[in-house]
Amino acid sequence: MKCSNIVTQMQMLLLSTYFLFSPERRTANMAASGGRTVGSFLWKCGNCCFNFNTVSSNLTRQVLSRQLCVSAVLHRKNLAAAGPEKFSEEFIKKQVEEFNIGKRHLANMMGEDPETFTQGDINRSIAYLFPSGLFDKKAKPLMKHPDEVFPKQRAVQWGADGRPFHFLFYTGKQSYYSLMHDTFTKALAVEKHQDRLRGKDLFTQDAKQISLVGSRWLLKEELEELLVETISEHDYARFIQLMERLLSLPYCSVEEDFVQRYRRQLEIQSSKQQVQPLQYDQHGVAYSTGDGRRKTAMGTVLLRDSGSGSISINGTNYVHYFPVLQDREQLMFPLHFMEVLGRFDMQCSVSGGGHSSQAGALRLAISRAMLSFLSEGQVETMRQAGLLTPDPRIKERKKPGQEGARRKFTWKKR
Amino acid sequence: MIRVLLVRWSRYNPYYLEPEPRKEVYHIPETELTPEQKEERELKSVRPIKAATNSVTSSVFNDPVLSKFVNMMMKDGDKIIAKGIITQTLENMKRKQVEKYHKAPEVKKAEIECNPYVIFHQALENCKPVIGLASIQKGGKFYQVPIPLTDNRRRFLAMKWMITECRDNKHRRTLMYEKLSQELLAAFSKEGNVVKRKHELHKMAESNRAYAHYRWW
Repeated sequence: MKCSNIVTQMQMLLLSTYFLFSPERRTANMAASGGRTVGSFLWKCGNCCFNFNTVSSNLTRQVLSRQLCVSAVLHRKNLAAAGPEKFSEEFIKKQVEEFNIGKRHLANMMGEDPETFTQGDINRSIAYLFPSGLFDKKAKPLMKHPDEVFPKQRAVQWGADGRPFHFLFYTGKQSYYSLMHDTFTKALAVEKHQDRLRGKDLFTQDAKQISLVGSRWLLKEELEELLVETISEHDYARFIQLMERLLSLPYCSVEEDFVQRYRRQLEIQSSKQQVQPLQYDQHGVAYSTGDGRRKTAMGTVLLRDSGSGSISINGTNYVHYFPVLQDREQLMFPLHFMEVLGRFDMQCSVSGGGHSSQAGALRLAISRAMLSFLSEGQVETMRQAGLLTPDPRIKERKKPGQEGARRKFTWKKR
Repeated sequence: MIRVLLVRWSRYNPYYLEPEPRKEVYHIPETELTPEQKEERELKSVRPIKAATNSVTSSVFNDPVLSKFVNMMMKDGDKIIAKGIITQTLENMKRKQVEKYHKAPEVKKAEIECNPYVIFHQALENCKPVIGLASIQKGGKFYQVPIPLTDNRRRFLAMKWMITECRDNKHRRTLMYEKLSQELLAAFSKEGNVVKRKHELHKMAESNRAYAHYRWW
């Protein structure tokens, strides 16, 4: 009895699979990523994609056999172009209820509190209960809230008599055009406000402006997601143009809320730095380690807060190891920048590459090791000086049909 | 390890901003910043920054113009030799100027410039052409049309002329640093072959003034 109960419970779990872009990759990869446009770069940074392929199993065993043939529909990212809605509202509501009940059962099964069971816990539990040796992320079993699984679809746009509700329905892109209309109405309202102020002689050029630094316009994909409608590049460009025109008016701060709805905050870059906590050795001297890479050289540094300022690389003194002035300057760069030249004692080890790349690797390692000794503001200044970014430049590959990376074979007339 | 490279583009995404390695910029307190500088700072705090290159430091001796000159002097990627030549040149210039200083009467001592960096910068300034020539085709013939030059182009031409002059027109036995220091000192006092070349270019541009309307940009 209990056995069959557990089996039913297992079947109750929504087994939906989906694909999610991996979270923040390392900065080096980010710099060298395949996304050439800024838009695709931002998209990779922080947003989910709706590409997925659902195979959902339902509550009762009879319903279990009914497979929803939705793969073709859900492979497409187009939301409105999916045609008339395949999932009715009641269906989605039922899925949500099932998901919540399934979540509570899962929490009970794992012996945790159903009230505080987060999505991360769900993922862990599913990975534990259904270990999958498959490599493809789309093939692994997963359980997500139905809002993230099923695409957002629009309710039926017309009434029982076949007459559409929205006056712009026959344009084909009703939400987009209604948005453009709203924006332009707001612009006209601002201009009218300005005229009224001019009439009362209260018009000043230096009215309070909307602060735009630290935020960006919605991307085309995000706008599509907001409007639940596909728009072309041209449409998106026109939308941005209209918003910029609204912002060019001196008194646009009247419509600040409207504008901010279509802007996203950019995250502060310095918060992405991983700062290791400071460690103390047996004599109470603070120390920290750091490693860095450049081209093919790898270097590690042990930074000690002893106050002598001696540097030893692979056992030898740094003056003997780096006879070139430029390399020694590179080692001193982070220390000189933060004005802590004589404070630290360094033991470095480096391998691979040439003398320049070894110096660069050590510079990055020293900067990273120094982070534990510095405050937030200093970390930000170091980042802006370019000390904390790993240099992504590497040797360009040789291409077939050419002698080297760029050099072509000698051109012979015959 | 297989590395996938992006060909013919910068390794950085265009979203990345240039780094600012000088210390003084970060010591200016909040109150003394102009609104543009404040905006720039806020923009920098949300954008990723490129890594600083190998030749750049926060030290007072780091000079971008001098680094450019060293790179232009470099052959086959041998920066050590190029940097050595430049160091010897600067030392040589200093020696000559100090000798002149000690030999000069009291009145003239104040006018003699001993700082080799100042001499280098001033000499380069004196070599920069103001106007350049471009070969434009019109009606089957090529005309030398006077055109304005950007700052970068002017600096590049001055350095290029200096280096070619020192490589070609010297006695077989004179070393590069010796010839370079002679040329730089001459350019500092507006004599020498390089400034002569600049003047010739200006004369050509003036003589071809009639074709100036052939330029369409």
